[in-house]
Amino acid sequence: MSRVSVRGVVKKMYIMLLMPAILVVLFSPCPAAQLEEIRIADSRGDWGYPNPFQHYPRGPGYVRMSWVFDTLIWKDKNGYIPALAEAWSYDSDRMSFFFELNPGARWHDGRPLTAEDVAFTIEYFQKHPYGWVSLDDISHSEVKGPHEIEIFLSRAYSPFISDVGGTMPILPRHIWQSVDDPRSYNEPEAYIGSGPYRFMDFNKAQGTYLYEAFEDYYQGKPMANRLIYVRSGQPMISLTSRQVDLSNIQPDMAEPLRKQGLVVIRDERGWNKKLMINHKKEPFTDVRFRQALAQAIGQQEIIDRSHRGFGTPASYGLLTIDHEMYNPDTPSYSFDTNKARELIRSLGFQEDNNSFFHKDGQPLKVELLSSTITVGGQNVPDRDGEVIRKQLENAGIHVELVSLEQATTDSKVRNWDFDLAISGHGGISGDPRILNEMISSEYGAGSVNSARFDVIPELNTLLKEQMMEMDQDRRKELVYRIQEVYALELPAISLYYPDSYSAYNPDKGIEWFYTRGGISKGIPIPQNKMSLIR
Amino acid sequence: MRRTGPGPHILAYALAALVMVYASYLLPRMLPGDFVSAMYSSSHVTLSAAQEQELRSYYTGRDGFVWYLKDLVTFEWGYSYAFLSPISRLILQALPWTLLLMGSAHILSMVAGFFAGVEAAWRRGSTTEKSGVGLMTVLQGIPEIGTGVILLMVFAFYLGWFPAAGGETAYAEFSGLERATDILKHLALPFTTLFLAYLPGNFLLTRAGMAMILKKQYLETARAKGLPPMRVRYAHAARNALLPMVTRFGLRIAFMVTGALIIETIYSYPGLGTLLFNAISQRDLPLVQGIVLFSSLAILLINLALESAYGFLDPRVRYAS
Repeated sequence: MSRVSVRGVVKKMYIMLLMPAILVVLFSPCPAAQLEEIRIADSRGDWGYPNPFQHYPRGPGYVRMSWVFDTLIWKDKNGYIPALAEAWSYDSDRMSFFFELNPGARWHDGRPLTAEDVAFTIEYFQKHPYGWVSLDDISHSEVKGPHEIEIFLSRAYSPFISDVGGTMPILPRHIWQSVDDPRSYNEPEAYIGSGPYRFMDFNKAQGTYLYEAFEDYYQGKPMANRLIYVRSGQPMISLTSRQVDLSNIQPDMAEPLRKQGLVVIRDERGWNKKLMINHKKEPFTDVRFRQALAQAIGQQEIIDRSHRGFGTPASYGLLTIDHEMYNPDTPSYSFDTNKARELIRSLGFQEDNNSFFHKDGQPLKVELLSSTITVGGQNVPDRDGEVIRKQLENAGIHVELVSLEQATTDSKVRNWDFDLAISGHGGISGDPRILNEMISSEYGAGSVNSARFDVIPELNTLLKEQMMEMDQDRRKELVYRIQEVYALELPAISLYYPDSYSAYNPDKGIEWFYTRGGISKGIPIPQNKMSLIR
Repeated sequence: MRRTGPGPHILAYALAALVMVYASYLLPRMLPGDFVSAMYSSSHVTLSAAQEQELRSYYTGRDGFVWYLKDLVTFEWGYSYAFLSPISRLILQALPWTLLLMGSAHILSMVAGFFAGVEAAWRRGSTTEKSGVGLMTVLQGIPEIGTGVILLMVFAFYLGWFPAAGGETAYAEFSGLERATDILKHLALPFTTLFLAYLPGNFLLTRAGMAMILKKQYLETARAKGLPPMRVRYAHAARNALLPMVTRFGLRIAFMVTGALIIETIYSYPGLGTLLFNAISQRDLPLVQGIVLFSSLAILLINLALESAYGFLDPRVRYAS
């Protein structure tokens, strides 16, 4: 009979108790380590101060603001998700949206965020408009409790969730209620938001931004302590030398960067290069001439010759082919120079010995303003203008290609002082409100990309109706028809969607992604703040 | 010969300054478009006609040259529309970077080009001189952008020795010495690009000047007096080849703001050129006017300084005036 010592029993019991604990620790999911910093490169750098009244009105400016200011709802990879609002619903009888706010939400100065702040934000933006959202159809709001608010519409407004819910930053009432001129208000308090990061610095000369994690963020402390934006004219080199962790890249660099261990992500087709047409000027007033242009321009040839094949021909109906409301039966135009010539002949033009058209002794000559603008407001050299000139000349149209600096081109287009102009914009994967903004002068008077085309009564009616149709299926039918009419009338011609890629360093453990439908109104940038939220 | 005082000279400069002040007021205003159209035309935001009008009136300052002049004299250079900062602060933020890059490249390329040019001319007909001239002629033919891209690819991309962008590592928590080293590392590639761009001109100019001077009689005299070769070369010959170099330096400095634009863009270097370029593309009128005015007045001052330097370097100039 062996002696059993007390010490041995204790030791065995100790091991029996300790082993499961060790196993639990070893096999339980390891919590992600807190990162010191994330660096994002951008070729421009400067996008304004990150608050609603001072960021530049382009995607990168909004995204820089979105780290500091939260919205009621947000988007992740799969669609809308709760943000400041935990739940929301629409009451068609009362024509109102009801939001329940997250009671844990705090401002960066520690004060609680309440329904009063949301109500104040609506009133403040009605008084001092924030161009990203339209509050014209909101009559008023009622605070139902500390964290409950009901927002009433004066008439049905279908982009409400996208606009007011997913784009409108909520402002702290206790700060902004005493600010009469928000555009010039630049005190440190102007950057107190409820987002995952606090704004710390914007270096205007260097084009750099510094943010620090907000420890009390209601969705948990962000994964990186510091978020830094830097300006880099060569983001690819900065990426490969690990000086930055995320940047957009040229499509042909995708493979080499993959080989270097970087993760390359590709956006949906949410940005289109577009040919603006002065449809108020002869011969562009005639729809047959505009259709002849579409017939004479080969979309795929532009992509192949100017972009080494990195792109997709665009739908002539404006909305991207990736949009859930894209109409697959949208009329299209094959690249057919003979058909283009036939259409031009039908307008009374005749060909001379060099196969160029003329009429009443005047040659058919147009001016084409070129532009190298591309995704995210950046500029990338391309040869789109030269390719289109060649294509139009093959169809018998003399073309004078003019390269101007962007602001000058924009100014000429705005003043109708042009024939044809190459331009481009995003938002075509977001809410179909973009159709109104890019077609009608009632909605898009201030945009250089808007065709401002109001001469087709059916189109005008359809555009108005789709803005007020709260039933998604019925709205889809209207949007389908808008695309058909637009593609037949061609007040502007969508050319192609450039391939848009970004690359990031996976060693940091952050998964960056392009948001379906784009961030907020359709921003095609993979800097969604949810990437840094656990 | 009667020597004239500085009065008429200063008066001419004052007149030139007034013309430049007017040009800085007028020329930026002639740019097509304005801040609102440049900022909003091609943006995610679609303004209504009323909103656009309201913004336009908000971003229109006091009109008239008299107001402009008054603000100038009282050092009220205004605020940038885009940056919401005083113009003077923005210029002072960017200026040190421009001075560091352009100043160091100009001065060092001038010094190196001068000495190399003098030595090459002194060894006229030797293999050293011939290969030096050949190399500099080739370098002279390579545009800055070409050198910049090659250096970037080799030393930043393949070798990874130097950073590809910026003036320093943003928001790094460095000590004083670490920060200085970091700034020098960021400066290395843009500086080398500009140095290689400016060096050949300085070298060839000095060599050509020296070639003419070396034939002069007074050098024979200096040699005959038994002066050391170094003294003959530099105190007697090279000093006379210095004037064209100083003129060239002045002309180059005149392009300090715009001259480095390409290099600043390639390396994302934070200087006045980048600031001006962005201000023009945004039609940030107060900032454009401020930078144009600052740089044109700086050119005048540098010219004034150089004229004084001529007299110091060459007594003939001093007595001729």
